Amino acid sequence: MGGLIVKTARKKILAVTGLFAMGAMLLLPIVVALPALGAEEFPAAAGVVEGQSDEEKIEMGRDVYYKIEGPAIGRPAPKTEDTTEFYPRYNFESRILLWVANQQHLYYGSFVLAVPIFCMCIELAGMMTKDKAMAKRYDQLAYDFIKISITAYSITAILGGILIFTFLTLYPAFFGYLSSVFRPVMHIYALMFVAESATIYIYYYGWDMMKEGLLKWLHLSMSVVLNVIGTTLMMLANSWIGFMMSPSGVDEKGQYLGNIWHVIHTALWNPLNIHRILGNMAFGGGVVAAYAAYRFLSAKNDEERAHYDWMGYVAMTLGVAFLIPLPFAGYWLMREVYAYRQQMGITLMGGLLAWLFIIQATMIGILFLTTNYYLWQALGRMTGAERFQRYIKYLVFILVVGLLVFITPHTIVMSPAELKAMGGQQHPVLGNYGVMSAKNGGINAIIMTTILSFIWYQRGNRVPTVSWTRFGNTFMIVFFVVAGINNIWLATYGYFIPANVRIGLSVAQVVGTLSCLFIMVPFNLVMLKGARQLGPIRWGKIPVRSQYALIMLATAFTWMMGLMGYIRSSVRLYWHVNEIMRDNSPWAYTHTIGFAANVISFNVLFFWFTILFVFWLGTLGVKKAPVPAAEPVPATPVPQPATGH
Amino acid sequence: MLELMGGALGIGWPIFVSLIGLLIYFQVSIPDAAKKKRLSFKTLIGMLAAFMAFMAISNYGTNFDTGTKGFVGDSGLLPVSLVMGTILAYMMGLYFTSLTALFKIASSMFLVAAILSGYGNWLPQVEGGFPPPEVKLDFQSMTPQQLGDEGEKIIFGGLGQSRVQGAIGKGQCPLCHGFQQGFLSERAPNLFNIPARALTQLDHEKYYRGNPEARDTVQKEAFPGSGTAETAQEYIAESHACPSCFVVPEFGVQGTNDTESPMPKIHKPPISLTLGELAAVDTWMYVREGAEAPTYEEIIASYEKFIPEGDRPQASSEEGPAGGVIATGEEPITDLFMKAGCPACHTIPGIEGATGKVGPMLVEGTSAPMRLKDPSYQGKAKSVREYVTESILDPSAFVVKPFPDNQMPKDFGLKLSAGAVNKIVDYLSQLKEGQPPPQVD
Repeated sequence: MGGLIVKTARKKILAVTGLFAMGAMLLLPIVVALPALGAEEFPAAAGVVEGQSDEEKIEMGRDVYYKIEGPAIGRPAPKTEDTTEFYPRYNFESRILLWVANQQHLYYGSFVLAVPIFCMCIELAGMMTKDKAMAKRYDQLAYDFIKISITAYSITAILGGILIFTFLTLYPAFFGYLSSVFRPVMHIYALMFVAESATIYIYYYGWDMMKEGLLKWLHLSMSVVLNVIGTTLMMLANSWIGFMMSPSGVDEKGQYLGNIWHVIHTALWNPLNIHRILGNMAFGGGVVAAYAAYRFLSAKNDEERAHYDWMGYVAMTLGVAFLIPLPFAGYWLMREVYAYRQQMGITLMGGLLAWLFIIQATMIGILFLTTNYYLWQALGRMTGAERFQRYIKYLVFILVVGLLVFITPHTIVMSPAELKAMGGQQHPVLGNYGVMSAKNGGINAIIMTTILSFIWYQRGNRVPTVSWTRFGNTFMIVFFVVAGINNIWLATYGYFIPANVRIGLSVAQVVGTLSCLFIMVPFNLVMLKGARQLGPIRWGKIPVRSQYALIMLATAFTWMMGLMGYIRSSVRLYWHVNEIMRDNSPWAYTHTIGFAANVISFNVLFFWFTILFVFWLGTLGVKKAPVPAAEPVPATPVPQPATGH
Repeated sequence: MLELMGGALGIGWPIFVSLIGLLIYFQVSIPDAAKKKRLSFKTLIGMLAAFMAFMAISNYGTNFDTGTKGFVGDSGLLPVSLVMGTILAYMMGLYFTSLTALFKIASSMFLVAAILSGYGNWLPQVEGGFPPPEVKLDFQSMTPQQLGDEGEKIIFGGLGQSRVQGAIGKGQCPLCHGFQQGFLSERAPNLFNIPARALTQLDHEKYYRGNPEARDTVQKEAFPGSGTAETAQEYIAESHACPSCFVVPEFGVQGTNDTESPMPKIHKPPISLTLGELAAVDTWMYVREGAEAPTYEEIIASYEKFIPEGDRPQASSEEGPAGGVIATGEEPITDLFMKAGCPACHTIPGIEGATGKVGPMLVEGTSAPMRLKDPSYQGKAKSVREYVTESILDPSAFVVKPFPDNQMPKDFGLKLSAGAVNKIVDYLSQLKEGQPPPQVD
């Protein structure tokens, strides 16, 4: 026994050592690149006359954001004109070409960054599970995930190339300036790609070779390295858009002041990072769920259907798990936008782009409604879940009321005639429901209802048998009721206090909602330990419409991602780099909502049709044998996926 | 619709001809009646589907009307295309049974896109226009009423818009400020009757009139030594130029205890109003109350008190080359002189071809100190740099004998960016008689 423990410990030590060695090798390019940062030599700034002493040569500039002085060693942002020299063009709007190229690259990039995170979680779940059949299923699932992302990975690289060419050919002056500012980290970005590619290919192709013991741990560790590199890559890319929205590290003329960290660490960088990581995860979950739905719909036998039903469920759960905190991350981002430039926040939420947020609110509501719908459908594959069916109508009622309140607009841009017709800036009745106080109440009610649906789903075919069941159930009911009352009470109370105090209430509302998620869901799982089974989960026995719900969920999420990206980008209005480099192209105006919606639709469909092609390709080259049909599909909840089922 | 159908035929006629050919072939070559019927039906469905696809494509071509030549149409019709795509994909799913799942998925995606695009097109369509072009206005020569009208346009985007809540102009003020008593003004103070109320603000306990050091704000003075306002107009000017110098209680950035204002400096990007525009804005605030506005010069002077010379936006410098600026300051010094046209009249050591004799030779390192000491000098400059700058921007401030006045253009302030003027001044100030000129780039 003791020998076995020593052996295991040795294996783990070896695994950790191997991981560090591998990590060091993969990060070597960055280490090599670092000295180059310190040794950069910059030309003397323009406007300084030769012949002066070295000290006088350095013109000093003041950071537009950090407000500290630094040597203005970069070149100023070019002042462009509407000529083909600055804006070469085809017989089409250059901005749309760039928009499409950017969006496609972003969709694929998000997907290939999110999937390895899922793989890591699922592979770990497989390794921790004691049930061998289940472990194998998890492993197969993780492998299926990475297999999809491998093809998508090369498409991402191709799209990245197309994006750069589009930039260079259509916006040379702007791209030249941006790359001059980010010059110290450009090569790091490129080298990170090399490291990412190396890791992902070893990870994928080494799957079968590294399936046992120490090597399996090493394999899992690679996914950690992969995700560290991937996240760093994303954060570097985010720093460019952060710089475009809220520049720092440069002076008023746009001259780089020698501190690359200030250029990267802009006012909006961190909120963007968090928002994008969560968004990528939710998006990745959606895409994999859609893949599973596709495979479910085209399945030839019950085993396949069962497997892909389960896969769709796991992917959807992971996606929704990240969708729930997403509105809060968005709230933080908006807060930081307001803190950075109040006008920018107002342009977003109460000005030119306000209607787009109404679309966004509608979509958030639709996403949650669809998620709930899927969970209710999924109850159908469990014996004993019928007892919840009759309550669903009440959840529908809460969801619909919450959604209607959430999407009611308050302050919007109106023509004088519309103002006159309405009798004021706000609708006399609806305006009251459109204020932030009520909206917060609406969205929190929606999220709480979704959590409740999930808890019902967890209980679908199980009845708790713990000795304190009665207490547990009462506690859960009281908890939800109190959280609901807290939410509605604060939403109402918000009407009676000033706006600046009201903002603080949202924190209390969010705490209530998140408590339901982080306390009630685990609490429910504890209650369900050793629960009595009312019947098996019949994986694969789910109505076909549930799979279309998954597909619609994924499509709607993709659309919302396109919409939010558009909003984030267009809030700069006629600036390439906010307040530093002006956009003087013929397209320096903001399109109508309808036009933007059309381009977003085009992008969404383009992405989905290409990724469907990728899915189809995935079905062609099956290298790994599927789980033998004889192996029982887990019909019972033991052991369950990490999410409860 | 007819146009779309015509368009569909125009694009897809080879396919339609082939399908018709196929239909005829089935009719004549298949003896089995049931099989003939089945295949003919499928072909007809295929023709219908193809027709819809081409209609959608034909419509699609008109959906991205960007105002570019060759693009006409209405982007609001794209959802129609997408609905056709939905039906088409669904139909194809029935038709190609081996790919049913893929087509049905595509159909549902088309449907989602159609609904969302339709929603986007159904909402009120607001287009953010181009930033208003800078129109060269001679604010100085306007009457107070004309100046006030221009001010209303800058604040609200048009004449008579000041009573419309939500109207907004280049200044973007109504985004945060209310201007009429009773109007919504949650984010920033309501500015009704501000000229009269400004005086009382000077006596506010947190304003610290005459004692800016006592302020607890993040910025105590507009710039070191600028001091505090003494008149209502100066108060208005200071709040535009340095919003954080005094923050009206409860309107500060959240969490700063009213020590920092969320308002941008109005003479800086992104708003960048020139002093002339600011004078127009301020005049409107007086005129609309029926009060007598300070003169243009008085208003400008109030701003000059709080905006240092280097920071004062020039009417042309902010526009870049597009707005009539002939040099931005990024050019090599020789090009800069050439663009400005100086060599035509002046001899400038070190600049090739600069041998003009219409004006004095420019060796300012030597001549400027002498002129500053000249008893007939009435200008405001106190240093060589200031003198050279003044000579460029205001040539009549001191005319070197025996050269005549009014020979040199007086609009270099409009034609050269601040950076360009600084660069020229840098160079000229270093030129000394009898010494080699500095090396040029």
